Amino acid sequence: MKSDIARKLDGYDALMGEIAAARKYGSDFTPLRGRLQDAVARLHPHRVALRVSRVIDETPSTRTLRLVPAAGNLPPFQAGQYITLFFDLGGVRTARPYSISSAPSQTAFWEITVRRVAEGLVSNHLLDLGPGALLESSGPAGTFVFNPVIHPPQLVCIAGGSGITPFMSMIRETVQRDLPRRITLLYGNRRLDDVIFHAELNELARSAVQFDYIPVVEDPPGNYPGRRGLIDAPLIREACGTLDDKVFFVCGPQGLYDHVLPQLEAMAVPRRRLRCEIYGAPANVWEQPGWPAEVDRHARFTVTLPGGRHVEAPAAVPLIRSLEKSGWAIPSLCRSGTCSLCRLKLLSGRIFQPPGVPVRSSDRRFGYIHACVSYPLSDLEILL
Amino acid sequence: MADYEAIVIGAGNGGLTAAATLAQHGVRTLLLERHNVPGGCATSFCRGRFEFEVALHQLSGIGTEEKPGPLRLLLARLGVLDRLELVPMDDLYRVVIPEVIDITLKPDRDATVAALQAHFPAHKDGIAEWFDLLWGLFGEVIGAFYFKDPQVTREKYPLFHRYALQTSAAEMDRCLKDPVLKTVASAYWTYMGLPPSRLALTDMAALYFAYSEFLPYHLRGGSQALSNALAQSVLDAGGDIRFNCGVRRILVDDEGVAGVVTEAGDTIAARQVVSNVSKVATYVDLIEADRVPLAVLDELRQARIGPSAFTVYLGLDAEAADLGMTASTTFIVGDTDPDRIYARMFQREIGPRDGMLLTCYNAIDPGFSPPGTCQAALVTLKYGESWRDVPPRDYADEKYRIAADMLSAAERVFPGLRGRVEEMEIATPLTHQRYLGHPQGAIYGFDHHVKDSPLFVANRPHIRGLYGAGGWYGSGGFQPTLESGVAAARAVLRHLNRSEAR
Repeated sequence: MKSDIARKLDGYDALMGEIAAARKYGSDFTPLRGRLQDAVARLHPHRVALRVSRVIDETPSTRTLRLVPAAGNLPPFQAGQYITLFFDLGGVRTARPYSISSAPSQTAFWEITVRRVAEGLVSNHLLDLGPGALLESSGPAGTFVFNPVIHPPQLVCIAGGSGITPFMSMIRETVQRDLPRRITLLYGNRRLDDVIFHAELNELARSAVQFDYIPVVEDPPGNYPGRRGLIDAPLIREACGTLDDKVFFVCGPQGLYDHVLPQLEAMAVPRRRLRCEIYGAPANVWEQPGWPAEVDRHARFTVTLPGGRHVEAPAAVPLIRSLEKSGWAIPSLCRSGTCSLCRLKLLSGRIFQPPGVPVRSSDRRFGYIHACVSYPLSDLEILL
Repeated sequence: MADYEAIVIGAGNGGLTAAATLAQHGVRTLLLERHNVPGGCATSFCRGRFEFEVALHQLSGIGTEEKPGPLRLLLARLGVLDRLELVPMDDLYRVVIPEVIDITLKPDRDATVAALQAHFPAHKDGIAEWFDLLWGLFGEVIGAFYFKDPQVTREKYPLFHRYALQTSAAEMDRCLKDPVLKTVASAYWTYMGLPPSRLALTDMAALYFAYSEFLPYHLRGGSQALSNALAQSVLDAGGDIRFNCGVRRILVDDEGVAGVVTEAGDTIAARQVVSNVSKVATYVDLIEADRVPLAVLDELRQARIGPSAFTVYLGLDAEAADLGMTASTTFIVGDTDPDRIYARMFQREIGPRDGMLLTCYNAIDPGFSPPGTCQAALVTLKYGESWRDVPPRDYADEKYRIAADMLSAAERVFPGLRGRVEEMEIATPLTHQRYLGHPQGAIYGFDHHVKDSPLFVANRPHIRGLYGAGGWYGSGGFQPTLESGVAAARAVLRHLNRSEAR
C-alpha cells in the first residue's frame, strides 16, 4: 500500500532514479564481514593474551613481571591506567587489576609490579610464575590519568607502597618523551627496603629536569639521611611551593588516603586538581562508617542464585569473592566499586556498600549493586 | 523444541520495548545484552561525584497528562510511566551565533513565531508561512499514517503529496531568507544529522511539531532510569534477561530463523528473533552469508552510514547559572551556512566554525549533580571515517587535542568553562562504536535521506521470523527507536497470532 502512495507523490520518478544510482554505486559492506569492529579492537581489545618474558626482583616482597603479547600487538594505554588479569585457580575464576608501570611509549611490553600478600591467593600465584608463563588480561582501563586539557602541567604525585606503579609509568613517559611537564613525587614507605624502584627514581631525579623525587620512610635505619615519618602538610607545602598551579595525584593503600586527603582538603586543594586512584575493596570493611553495629562481622549468610542454587557468603568478604569461590564467574575489572562491570541485581536481602561507591542513581533505585564492594548483611537472593 | 518463543538481541531502546511488549503479551521472551547494563545509547556512567547522561538531550513525544503525546502513551502501556520522573523543559532551545545573535525559543509554536518575528520584523510573513507549512504538512502525515487513513489521496493530503519527497531548503529559503533567521529556526536539523538541503521537509516538520506540541523532556536519573525501568518491566512480565551475553550468530534454516548462538557458544533456539543490532552487523556479521537475501543487500547498498559524534562530558565545580548556562539546550552555531557545517562533519578537527550543542540539565533539574556543581555534555556530529585510521598510539593525544579545541569554541559562549572542569570524559566516534557496536560509531543509524524513508525502505522481515528494532531500521533518536521496538514486537505477535490486547 505504501509504495502505491509513494508513486503519486511529486518528485517520485526523480527519487527512483536516485535510489537506482545509490544501489549501483553505494557501499558494499559484505567484504567487511568479521572486520566491522577492527578499529575498536585495535584500541580496546576484549582480552589480551600475554606471555611473561622476564621476572625482575624489586624488593624482598615485590617483583616486576614483564609481559609481551602472545600474538599481535599490545593496545595503547595512558600512563596511570591498569590492566586486569584473569585467573582460573583450581576452579576459582577471578581477576585482579594491576597498574602498568612501564611507559606508554614502550609498545613492546607492559610491566606490572606485584607485592606478595600473606595468604594472597592471586599474588602468590603470580609471583611464582617464571618466564614463558601465559596470562590473559583485559584491555587497559582506568581514569587515573593526566588530562592536558584541564590539568596544569605541574604534577604532585603522592604514593604509598605499591601505589608507586602508575606513577612510574607517568614519570617514565614524561622523561622518555621529554614532555613539557614537571613531576614531584612524594613516596612514602614503612621501611627503606620496601621502597620499590628506589635506584631508578634517584637516577631519574638526577638526570631529568622534569622530575623531583622525595622518598619518605616511616621507620628507616638509624643512619638514614632522607625524610622520616609520614607525608604531611608541611612537607607537601615545602615540596610544592605554590599550590594553585599544581594537580595532585594520590595512589596507595587506604591509610595513605585517610592521612593525606584531609591535609590536602585543609590546604584548600579543589577536587578538580585532585585525582585519587582506586585501590581495591576496603580492608576491615566493618570499620567503615555506616557498617551496622548489629551485624557480626563473622556472620555467614546464604546467597540464592538463579535456578535455586546456594552460595555461602561471609559478611566481611566482598560478595564477588564468595561467588567466585563457589565457582561462579562474575565479570569484573577494577574490583574497587567503580567500573560497574560486576553490577548485579539484588532481588531480596540487605547488603553494605561503603559510602561513596559510584552506583548509578537509577541502579540504586532498581536494586543493582556492585558485587566487588558489596557485603551481605542478611541472606540474599540475586540475579546475575 | 524452542527454548524461547522470541529472542531479542540487544537491550537498546528498541530491544527493551520489544522485549517488554512481547513478555507482557505472554510470549516466552529472552533479552540478550552484551553489556552489563541495559540501554545501549540510553545509559549513564559515573565519574567522581558525577553521573553523566550518555545520549539523551531532549525527549520528544511525551506531552502532558491532559494532552499526552505518543511516547507517554507507549510508556504507560508498558507500565513504566509510574516509575519515571519526567521533567518538562521550559525552553525549546537557545541558539548562539557568537557575536551575531543569542536567542532563546519557547516550546510553543505561537511564542516561537512571535519571538522570531520580533527579532526579524522584515520576515514577519515568511516566518508565519514557514510554521504554517510545517504544522500543515505534519498534520497531514499524522492523518495519513498515525491514524492509518485507508485513502491517502492528493485531495485530502495536498501538502503531503507536494512535499513528502522534498528536502527542507527550498521552502525554507523562500519563507525565511535571512541566513541568521534560518540558522535559528532550523537548529534542530542536527537531531536528524542532515542539513536542510538534505533533510526531508517532513522530518523538519516532525522535529518542530513534536517538540513544540509535546514539549521537550528530561528524565530524572537520566535515560538510564528509563532503560532500568523497561528492563524491570521485562522481568515483571516473566521475561528473562541475560547481561554480559553477546550474540555471535543468528541461526537460519529453511523455515527461517532458528535461534542464536551466544558469544560463549551456547545455542538458544527460537523461531522469532528481534535484532536490536545494527542492520549492517545483523546481515553482514551475524547471519551466514549464504542465508542473506539479496534484497537486503540492495537496501544496505542504497544506504550510507550516518554520523557519529564527538562528545565531551563535563563535571564542573560551579553552578550552571554562574557559567552562563541559562537554558538546558544551547546550540552554538559557528557558521550560518549549514552545508559548510555539514562538510565539516567529515573532518576530525573541531573549530569555531562548527556547530555544537551543549546540554546542561541542571538548568531545570538542580539535583542533577551535587550542590555547587553542574554537568554538561558538549557534542558535535562527526562522521566516523575521520577517526578510523588514527594510529592507536596517537589516539589519546588526538582526543585531548580535539577536546581542547572544542572547549575553546564553546568558551566563546561560556567563558571560564575550562577552568571549572573537575571530571571530563571524551567520546570519539570510536568510543560510540565501542559501546554501541554500530559501524563507524553512527548514533542515528543510516543517513536519513528522503530516499531512505519508510516509503521506500520498509522495515519488513527479509528472513522469516527476523525483525529489526532501533535506529538502523527507521528513524534515529529516542522516541522513534522506542516506538520501533513496539512495532517489531507487534509484528511478532501478529505472526504468533497473539492478541494485541493486554
